[in-house]
Amino acid sequence: MGIRRILILKIILICFILIFFAACATNSNTYREPNMDFGAIQTVAVMPFVSLARDNVAAERVRDVFINKLLSTGAVYVVPVGEVARGVARAEIANPATPSPEEVVKLASIIKVQAVITGVLKEYGEVRSGTTSANIISVSLQMMEVQTGKVVWSASSAKGGISIWDRLFGGGGQPMNKVTEKAADDLINKLFK
Amino acid sequence: MISSTNFLNRACILLFAGVFCFSGCAWTEKNVSKIVQTHEGKFLIAVLPFENLSGTRAPLKDIRELFINKLRARGFPILEEETLDKFMARNRVRYTGGIDKPLTQAFKNETGTGGVLISSLELYSDANPPKIALTSRLVSSGDAPVILWIDGFGLAGDDSPGILELGLIENPKALLKKGVGRLAESLGEYFDKKADRGPIKSVKRKFRPKISYRSDVFDPSRKYTVAVVPFLNLSGRRNAGEILELEFIRNLKTIEQFDVVEPGMVRQQLLTLRMIIPEGISLANADALFATLDVDLIVAANVNEYQDYQGVFGKPKVDFFVQLIEKKSRSVVWSSVSHNEGDDGVFFFDLGRVNTAHAMASQMTRWIGEMMIEGSKRVQGSSEMNLRKGEK
Repeated sequence: MGIRRILILKIILICFILIFFAACATNSNTYREPNMDFGAIQTVAVMPFVSLARDNVAAERVRDVFINKLLSTGAVYVVPVGEVARGVARAEIANPATPSPEEVVKLASIIKVQAVITGVLKEYGEVRSGTTSANIISVSLQMMEVQTGKVVWSASSAKGGISIWDRLFGGGGQPMNKVTEKAADDLINKLFK
Repeated sequence: MISSTNFLNRACILLFAGVFCFSGCAWTEKNVSKIVQTHEGKFLIAVLPFENLSGTRAPLKDIRELFINKLRARGFPILEEETLDKFMARNRVRYTGGIDKPLTQAFKNETGTGGVLISSLELYSDANPPKIALTSRLVSSGDAPVILWIDGFGLAGDDSPGILELGLIENPKALLKKGVGRLAESLGEYFDKKADRGPIKSVKRKFRPKISYRSDVFDPSRKYTVAVVPFLNLSGRRNAGEILELEFIRNLKTIEQFDVVEPGMVRQQLLTLRMIIPEGISLANADALFATLDVDLIVAANVNEYQDYQGVFGKPKVDFFVQLIEKKSRSVVWSSVSHNEGDDGVFFFDLGRVNTAHAMASQMTRWIGEMMIEGSKRVQGSSEMNLRKGEK
């Protein structure tokens, strides 16, 4: 009987630990290199994003929004997309969406940037659940410093999707552009945190 | 002596009679005289064959003929068709969407024209209700081709249906007549020096760019010469890049701070330099254009969406990303993302609905121009952020 009581107490204790320690959880979808001085980065290049979505132009759209959001913060300067394309051609990067560390170093010396951002668009468009539909975006980014080509920051964001409100009242969720802007804002907040 | 006095009196009487009797023709005479005064006694206009950017078959010859008739009725002297045909054959003119310097010189020397009218049909749908969009510009002939005037229209038959749909236009010809008449009026107003771009209040706030950035390098009070390079078209619509390019030229041209270079000259330079811009303009390309065209700013853009619809159901969509590169700093001085749909902010009875992508793009580009030269207001950041800060 005594052993059973102890066992019950142990289970209750474990449950308490699980519940209360959840508050101490960190945001696991962001990585920041602790030794990196992000304040030193003034010019960045945003590479074309990899698109895993059905829409072929989606990656370009998300990249445009992200570049503009980043520029409008006034914290960093983003080199024009055409200049990045020139750098990619001159550095002979076969796959500009996923450059190797050596390629990043080479590219940076051509277009004179202090960091290179790459991204993957994982989901973009409409999702359905029963009779309800809504727009969703899921994107992850990486920043590489140009001395060694090492990843110094990585984050992902997913916005939109079907909410309880959509399920109850319909409405189709938020427009795609709005959802994209929210995801870009979220990523920039994570970068400047 | 007496006879000579009588003769003078008669001449005076005839002169007064002439002044009174011909006062009915005052508008035409006055305007023609102004046109005549503008360019060494004669301002003959050559109307080039229309460029078709609509992506569909359209009665281009009929539209051109209608436009020429409207211009003639307004008193503009138009270069004879036969002379124009011979000139075009002699100079091997095949591209009619723009004009370069050698051609404007040839126009001046060989035909004596003062200006060349270049028109692009952007949309033609005769499905009920019809939809038509057209942009036209007058480029001066001679050694320094300058865009003298540029205007356009984007009309749909159901733009203002009114009560019991009495205002609905179902005949494409009627709609065309309305639009072309408006263009001829606008050209007349240019020569009358009455042309006014109107207050920005007339352009709805919902068409402001959704995200914008303006560098401190850009001086809103300075005068800039601008070249608009061909836009990258990522949309499904054919020629969307060229259409939006024309909208930018049209709206930047109305702003005093900007002198816009004729796109035909930009095209010619790109061909001469063997420059292709598959993924946007690089700084090396920009440098070459700055040097050859002698401009201060280069406008480049990606058109992500440019969509019109046929018939009653649907809505136009326009989505683009634009960047301006400045000569001295070799940096981006303006960057913005704009996207709108025809039914944005429309809640009741289709009030405020826009039916053509042209009409929407025109207002969107107008806002960009206005925001670029805004002095006191904050233009950087997202439109929502600016609204939150209480700037209206």
